Amino acid sequence: MTSRFDYITLFLVTILVCIGMLAIYSASSFTGTGGAEYFNRQALWAVLGFSIMISVGFLPAKTLQQISYSFYAFMIVTLIYVLFFGKVGKGAERWIAIGSVHFQPSEFAKLATIMAVSSFLSEKYADVNRLKYFSGAVGLILLPFLLIARQPDLGTAMVFLAIIIPLLYWAGLHWFYIFVIVTPLLTMLLSFNFVAFLILMLLIVLVLILSRKKPIVLVAVFLMNIIVGIVTPTIWGQLRPYQQQRIMTFMNPEKDPQGAGYQIIQSQVAIGSGGFWGKGYLKGSQTHLRFLPAQHTDFIFSVIGEEFGFFGVSIVLFFLFLLIVRLIHLASTMKNGFASMTIIGIATVLGFHVFINIGMTIGLAPVTGLPLPFISYGGSFLLANLLMMGVVMNIAGKRFEF
Amino acid sequence: MNEFSSADRRVRKYFFYGGTVLLFLILWNGFFRIQISGSEKFSEISMNNTVRELTEYPARGVIRDTYGNILVDNRPSFMISVIPRRMTNQTLTALAQLLEEKKASIRKKLRGRNSFRPVIIKRDVDYTTVTRLEERRLDFPGVIVEVEPKRYYPENVFSPHIFGYVGEVSRAETRGGKKFEAGELIGKSGLEYTYDTNLRGMKGTRFVRVDAEGRELGPLSEERDTQAEPGLDLYLTLDYNIQQFAESLMVGKRGAIVALNANTGGLITFVSKPDFDPRNLSGKISPEVWDALQNDPGHPLYNRITQSVYPPGSTFKLVAVAAALQEKIITPDWSVYCPGYFKLGRKTIKCWNQKGHGKISLLEAIKGSCNVYFYQLGLKIGLETWAKYSKMFFFGKPTGIDLPNEKGGLVPTVEYFNKRYGKNGWTKGNLANLAIGQGELLVTPLQMAQLAMILANKGIVHVPHLADYLYDNKNQRRFKFPVQTKYVQGISEEVYNVIREGMRRVVDGGTGWRGGVYGIPVAGKTGTAQNPHGDDHAWFIGFAPYDNPALAIAVIVENAGGGGANAAPLASLVMEKYFYKRLLPRIVPKKDTTETVPDFQMPPPFVPDSIPRMEVILGTN
Repeated sequence: MTSRFDYITLFLVTILVCIGMLAIYSASSFTGTGGAEYFNRQALWAVLGFSIMISVGFLPAKTLQQISYSFYAFMIVTLIYVLFFGKVGKGAERWIAIGSVHFQPSEFAKLATIMAVSSFLSEKYADVNRLKYFSGAVGLILLPFLLIARQPDLGTAMVFLAIIIPLLYWAGLHWFYIFVIVTPLLTMLLSFNFVAFLILMLLIVLVLILSRKKPIVLVAVFLMNIIVGIVTPTIWGQLRPYQQQRIMTFMNPEKDPQGAGYQIIQSQVAIGSGGFWGKGYLKGSQTHLRFLPAQHTDFIFSVIGEEFGFFGVSIVLFFLFLLIVRLIHLASTMKNGFASMTIIGIATVLGFHVFINIGMTIGLAPVTGLPLPFISYGGSFLLANLLMMGVVMNIAGKRFEF
Repeated sequence: MNEFSSADRRVRKYFFYGGTVLLFLILWNGFFRIQISGSEKFSEISMNNTVRELTEYPARGVIRDTYGNILVDNRPSFMISVIPRRMTNQTLTALAQLLEEKKASIRKKLRGRNSFRPVIIKRDVDYTTVTRLEERRLDFPGVIVEVEPKRYYPENVFSPHIFGYVGEVSRAETRGGKKFEAGELIGKSGLEYTYDTNLRGMKGTRFVRVDAEGRELGPLSEERDTQAEPGLDLYLTLDYNIQQFAESLMVGKRGAIVALNANTGGLITFVSKPDFDPRNLSGKISPEVWDALQNDPGHPLYNRITQSVYPPGSTFKLVAVAAALQEKIITPDWSVYCPGYFKLGRKTIKCWNQKGHGKISLLEAIKGSCNVYFYQLGLKIGLETWAKYSKMFFFGKPTGIDLPNEKGGLVPTVEYFNKRYGKNGWTKGNLANLAIGQGELLVTPLQMAQLAMILANKGIVHVPHLADYLYDNKNQRRFKFPVQTKYVQGISEEVYNVIREGMRRVVDGGTGWRGGVYGIPVAGKTGTAQNPHGDDHAWFIGFAPYDNPALAIAVIVENAGGGGANAAPLASLVMEKYFYKRLLPRIVPKKDTTETVPDFQMPPPFVPDSIPRMEVILGTN
């Protein structure tokens, strides 16, 4: 068992977890009350997580691929169980209690799904461009998506949707199919502006002609886009005002400073008031006077932004960037399909979390309740992320054995 | 698995790298915008967020009379504010219940306000309510009790028309000036309005740190705080002793007494009746009180001295005299025979003295206030000249007193009549009427006092004013308001001499004899103004002492009848009080006395029965 650890990944993960611990300490230490409680608990989770990560790293080469389907099946069963017997947290059933410890299975379902899809698409003669494999892969992803969306935990569920295209693209999905999937989404967004809609339609026609596919396919794709473009505004018109309100609040949070937009504004204020150098560690006034909502979990990055400023933010962003780039690099050097796809899947999940979470703190993304990997407070989330890294290390360490 | 080492995958790899770089650039740029470009803005918001700016309301300046007696003071009162963002429906319900107000009306006050700053909900809250609130402090998160000064009037101080009242800034004023926050107190009328900026002082701000729950955690740093600067004290020219006395004279009457210092224009008494208790408009104003004041048939909210216009009656004959003499239309010797009536065309106009004055010259006509004489004089003068001289004496426009909403009255001119009645629609009758102060002519009591001052000073006018100076208690500095002086151009001293001599004779045995003061030569003119709405208004204007005038006065008593009988005695008493600082026993001058007035000596003791009863000339004009 000659194992070579990927020390770069290990280093980056360690740094990020440490930054997270610092931020959690600050976020939970208010004037008057001790902040060590969250810090200690997170530290405990980190120790456990690192042990799991390293243990997984030492697992024999083929093991992961072999257990991927069982792992997936187990997670699906767990999700179904949670749906019926889960503990209620923040109005959604997503926790499972093992003794006194509460677990959030949806975090682990991400890894299970990635591994299952990777395993499925790396079977002999598997071709994602064939309907059987394409629909099989999408089905594997949609099943946990639906279960989690039912909880309802739309934020986490969105992660599953987000990995579909990158994962299948990496598996070799022809660009035209991606085009067919992506264009209706674009059409939906642009259908409110007639000029933008028209330009998009022209572009679609241009691409379709250049693609040299069968005329019937071209017409079908085009018609689909046109219909989406017409139907979207109609549906919007039929939405109830509060539903429109929610979407509009996302688009322009300052319109609703008391409601959901309040969080974004408070976060922006915290980050903005940090300036270039920040207010200094443990000196963020927004943080310590509890103006930030969920500041040790979802809005942990606002604390970093306020206390360490643009300088600190840039450094943390850089480490996150390096980690994802490292994963993409690893994925592209893997000769084994399962290994490569699993890592790219993990990279995608991380990237999505990072972008949505950090984007949320500055108003670039909706408030969905997605935590920031390695940094946000949360036991099962940290554990799940470290488990993912364990998988990466396992694969990366044994890349020459595949 | 050839696919995973194909060239195709290299393309895919670059897509992933590119996508990652793009996403991180978007994030990085977002932070750049907020932390570098928007840093200042967000820092400020952060300050507003975690630091609450509390406004310290300064004590409003005290208003005092010329001797420093306090007329308008301050007393602490409680007010309740809330921080809009902290208001839950529950708190709002509890608060509405406590204050006995509607929830909707509290909500309305919070609408559109900065959600982190306290908004005043109710002022002048009584002590028991505050106690009840403090007892249940935990039920009222985000509710603040503050103390602010409220206007207080010492006992016996009334004169609401002078002081005006203080009220909350309405929305309109918030938008216009931008310097007031809604709910802030400002002067709404009277001196409180005119000198609002001086009296109000400067708001102070105190910064305290608060957490998201709105709990105060202590001061931020003393350096940022600014102390509230109390307003400046306002000293008036008013002598409240005399003012009070003059007010007592007017109890139960409608009308006004204005007396001013002929050398400065500073008002000494300023009584307009009926009035109301200024305490009713201090602090919270109950709608019932306000409605009652507004609907009172006596119009107590009206300041009659500057806002009511009356026909001046015979007091205005003095203007006709000035016009006639200055334009050399007549000499003082010009005489008219008064049979007690005057025929103008087919109309017969009566003199007040139906027996007739006989053949009289100018001075006699002034003294006896002969209408027939002045009808004829008016016809000789002509409307154009008459209007010109009326305007020279500043009629038809506000005097410029330091009170808001002063009216200018009306001086009818040829254009006015042409417009009103058509080119040929008005007759000489209108003109004759104007010469005796009737008809369309309208003046304010203050303008009449001003006329008395002009005649007293032979053309010199000091703009009437109530404020003498401001006093800054902190720096012990005085800011004197300069006396503004104007001059009536184009009337010669000889003309004034004739008019003044006529006025002296009015008091000295003429229609205004009751306006005399023992030992002080007084000049005056009575007036009995007919008005279409009821009984005649009684007028008296005058000044004293004759040779070196110190005081000019105008008195009007609405619907009281003759000026000589009903207005002149009031003027006499006020002057007496002014010159002797107390009331003298009544001294009745002999009729038609030509003796020189003796130097003042202590009057004999007051024995009511010893006063000889004089025959009263009823309906004196």
